[in-house]
Amino acid sequence: MTPILELRNIRGGYGTIDVLHGVDLVVEAGQVHALLGPNGAGKTTTLAVCSGQIAPSGGQLIVSGRDVNGVTSDALARSGVCLVPEGRGIFPNLTVTENLRMFTHAGVSLDDVLEKSFSQFPRLKERRKQISGTLSGGEQQMLAMARALAVDPALLLLDELSMGLAPIIVEELYERVAELAAQGVSILVVEQFAQAVLGVSTVASIMLHGRITRTGSPADIAEELTEAYLGGATAHP
Amino acid sequence: MSNTESTPSARLQEFQTEVDSMKVDGGKANPERVWTTIGALLMIAGIVLALIAWLNIQGSGKGAKTDDFATMAVFGLVLAVVGSALFIVNSIRRYFRYWLVRLIFEQREQTDRIIAS
Repeated sequence: MTPILELRNIRGGYGTIDVLHGVDLVVEAGQVHALLGPNGAGKTTTLAVCSGQIAPSGGQLIVSGRDVNGVTSDALARSGVCLVPEGRGIFPNLTVTENLRMFTHAGVSLDDVLEKSFSQFPRLKERRKQISGTLSGGEQQMLAMARALAVDPALLLLDELSMGLAPIIVEELYERVAELAAQGVSILVVEQFAQAVLGVSTVASIMLHGRITRTGSPADIAEELTEAYLGGATAHP
Repeated sequence: MSNTESTPSARLQEFQTEVDSMKVDGGKANPERVWTTIGALLMIAGIVLALIAWLNIQGSGKGAKTDDFATMAVFGLVLAVVGSALFIVNSIRRYFRYWLVRLIFEQREQTDRIIAS
C-alpha cells in the first residue's frame, strides 16, 4: 500500500539556514508515527515541511504517492492534512465558539463541529463564550485538538501536544489521539517527552541534528532514547 | 472533507483524489537566492556592455556607429541599475529573514528560561 506521507532526503530550513540535513521518513496509512528528539533536532521544521509551510530546499515530499514539492499549505489543508501546531494554534482574541466556527473551512457544518468538539471535550462547552486566550493551557490545547477532530483529516500532524501541560491533561489528549488512530487516521506526532506518546504510537523514530537516526517499534526506541538524548552519557559513564 | 461519516478507506480514497488534483509547481525554498544571483549577473553584464560601448565610442566622431554604441551604453546602464536593485532588495530580504528567525529563536529560549525558573 502507498504510504500516506514520505520524506526522501529532505533538506530545508529558514532562509539561508538549513535545519534538516536529509530526512527520510515514511508514514503508512493508519499508522501513528512518533517523531522524538531533543530540543533543536528539527522536529517542528519537519512538520512545517510536511504541512507545506516550508518548501524543502532539496529532496522529495511525497503525499499519497505524489511528489508535491512546492505545494501550498492551504492546498494541503484543504485536501485533508491537518496540523495542530506547537503552542496551541488558536485565535486567542476569539471566543471558543468563534474559534470552532473557523474550523468549518473544510466544508464541515458548524453544528457538526460544535457537536463533535463538545462531546469530546465537555469543558469547551462550559467555556464556549469565553475568549480563548483566557482559557487554561490545557483547555487551549483541547480547542486546538478539537479542530483535528472536527475536520475529518486523512493525515494529522501533531506538534508537542504535551508542552507546558499537566500530565493528567496530556493523558486525556492522547486518549483522543488514540481514538482518532482507531478510526484509521494516519498521525505523525512530534514530542520531546517520549513517555506521553509511545503508548499510542505504532512506530517511532529518533531525530538528531536534522536527521532521522533510528526508526523502530516504540519499545525498541524507548530503550535507546536516553542514550540518544544524552549523547551516550548513560551508556558510557 | 465534508463526508464526516466516511470509513477510513473511503476517506483515504477521497484524500488520494484531492492530492491528485492539487496544483504543484515543484517550487523550492530560497527564491531570493535565485534572484540575488540573477541581479548580480545583470549588474555585471550591464557594466560590461557599458564599458565595451565606452571603449568603442572613445575618440570617434559623431556618426551612425557612435549612436549604436551610445544606445548600447544606455541599455547596459539600465541593466546594471535593474540588476543592482534586484541584488540589494533580495540580499536585504535574506538578511532580514535570518534576523527574524534569530529573534524568534531567542524569544523562545527566553520563554523556556522563564518557564523553567
